[in-house]
Amino acid sequence: MLEIKNLHVKITEEEKPILKGIDLTIAKGEVHAIMGPNGSGKSTLAHVLAGRDDYEVTEGDILWNGESILEMAPDERAAAGVFLAFQYPMEIPGVAGLTFLRTALNALRRKRGQEELTTPEFMKLVKEKSAALNIDIEMLKRPVNVGFSGGEKKRSEILQMALLEPTLCVLDETDSGLDIDALRIVSDGVNALRSPDRAMLVITHYQRLLNHIVPDKVHVLAHGKIQRSGGKELALELEQSGYAEFSEKAA
Amino acid sequence: MSVAVMKTKAELSFAESFDHVQDRLPGSPAVKQVRRSAADKFAELGLPHRRIEEWKYTDLRSAVKDALPVRVGDATQMTIADVIVALGPLAKLETYRVVFVNGRYRKELSSPDQLAGLEFEDLSSVLSSGDENAAGLASLTARDDDAVLSLNTAYMTDGAVVRVQAGAELVKPLLIAHVRAGGEPGFIAVRNVIDVGAKASAQIIEAFVSLPGAAKEGQANAATQITVGDEAKVVHVKCAADTGDGITHLSNWMIRLGRETDYAGFQLTQGVSLARNQIFVAFDGEDTKLDLSGVFLGRGRDHIDTTLVVDHAVPSCESRELFKGVLDDQSRGVFQGKIIVQQIAQKTDGKQMSQGLLLSPDAEFDSKPELEIFADDVACGHGATCTELDKDLMFYCESRGIPSDIARGLLIESFIGEAVEKIEDEPIAEAVMEFARGWLSKT
Repeated sequence: MLEIKNLHVKITEEEKPILKGIDLTIAKGEVHAIMGPNGSGKSTLAHVLAGRDDYEVTEGDILWNGESILEMAPDERAAAGVFLAFQYPMEIPGVAGLTFLRTALNALRRKRGQEELTTPEFMKLVKEKSAALNIDIEMLKRPVNVGFSGGEKKRSEILQMALLEPTLCVLDETDSGLDIDALRIVSDGVNALRSPDRAMLVITHYQRLLNHIVPDKVHVLAHGKIQRSGGKELALELEQSGYAEFSEKAA
Repeated sequence: MSVAVMKTKAELSFAESFDHVQDRLPGSPAVKQVRRSAADKFAELGLPHRRIEEWKYTDLRSAVKDALPVRVGDATQMTIADVIVALGPLAKLETYRVVFVNGRYRKELSSPDQLAGLEFEDLSSVLSSGDENAAGLASLTARDDDAVLSLNTAYMTDGAVVRVQAGAELVKPLLIAHVRAGGEPGFIAVRNVIDVGAKASAQIIEAFVSLPGAAKEGQANAATQITVGDEAKVVHVKCAADTGDGITHLSNWMIRLGRETDYAGFQLTQGVSLARNQIFVAFDGEDTKLDLSGVFLGRGRDHIDTTLVVDHAVPSCESRELFKGVLDDQSRGVFQGKIIVQQIAQKTDGKQMSQGLLLSPDAEFDSKPELEIFADDVACGHGATCTELDKDLMFYCESRGIPSDIARGLLIESFIGEAVEKIEDEPIAEAVMEFARGWLSKT
């Protein structure tokens, strides 16, 4: 269960606050969507959950399964089950995709007290998971994300998620840059990971993704705060009316 | 250059030592004469200092505090098993091995059988026979403005004199292993003279390594002259991977390339405290391809200088240079890349790139590209960068559960990988990466 309590966040070494008191609870098994206008702080929230040190928490707390994660480094949060699917996945020239995946997976397994996978075991697992996402294993022999199209990079993020089996999945605008087919493949991949043990936070601009990844709750984030929450119908409402009513609200 | 210049302790020591050891240095009377002239030349020039442009970043006169005792006729005990240990990752390769310990050829530690197409003799024997041509002395003395090379000529004890026969394709790389061993610090001067015949194909590895337990300090002065015949193909790799604490490595490669040759040279420098790698290339024939790459790794107060001079004296040749340095603590990396394109060298295609990766705010990378272009129909470009580890990439790796030290290792490997990949032979490239990984893991 994820509990975000009165979270205030600013950019490290700057004055301007970005998140001004976020309260949000996501129980295991639930999928919540966060929508909102540009500059509202959606991506900031995603990055703060993953532990990026460019952002500073000035007040409030983030509890994952009852434990505060604020003092945990990004790799510790990953070991605790947090996964952030990047809006702009990074290219790592010179590091083969398979090497990267194996290093990450075995690092997590070590931290969780599990045995590392042997190479044949690992390859079997990767072949299985990448086939489901329509990713050719040959692509994974190339350096991470190098030369990948936008859609391929997003599918590669979901592959990482499928392999690392996180319990809190934060998807930061996963639908940006995707065509209809890629959107379907990515959504299917995400839906395949829905489970009673997993909490998901889907950050998106557009309602369209939420037709495929149907949320249990929808929140509108604007001016650093959650302005409104509701069921999945809220997304359809926003589609009609836009974010105009939120841009007039005081910060 | 006035001879009345104040001499440093090291300069005086080097000059004095020569008088004591010259009779024990191998060579016929003619060779002794060449040595004497070289010693006089060194006495005249002294160690290079920062007011000489080519040495502005590496002031040897102030960096070299003393001359270590010269090693002649070394008799350090060593077994083949020791050599395997010293060679580290290179031991795994199938090679034709010639071994020198503390500057002396050790036949019993070298590969027993012949390698088809390869003629080898130790320099010491060649010098004693008086065959100056084979010893490359005649051509080397033409470069008499270089104090480091003069020291090498004066003091060289041994090395590999190699001929790859015309048309031969060596089935294994030649590994010239220079092993430093024994508890006494010393000064070693070695020289290799390599002649690759026309249309031949050869892979040559030079290794400068040490046995665990070797003295922490040491000074090595190495020179390799290599002449590549028309249409020949050469892969030439140097691994200077000593593991002391106070090791000086001064190295000269002098390369002459014939027509339509394909020469790829690579240098790895790590574990040494003070290094100056000089590479001089002269093109003697057209349509030749030159590739020079390297990786240098520094920590503590290490100072690693790589200085290239590539002289396009004929048309239609291609040259590529890629050097990458990883610098931690207060270490310093230097890259000087001079490319000369003479007036007749039309259709020259030259590219140079040097990159430094700083792991600490006190590390420093100096890069001096120097292009002197006198022809007007050429394509020449150069670039130099200096960066830190990409924080976004580090975060990406860590967010996937990769701890920061492993993430760092991955990113550094990826940085140097681009240069190591230039070594066409995969097993050799992998051995080089393993050396580097060994250095990285000693943080």
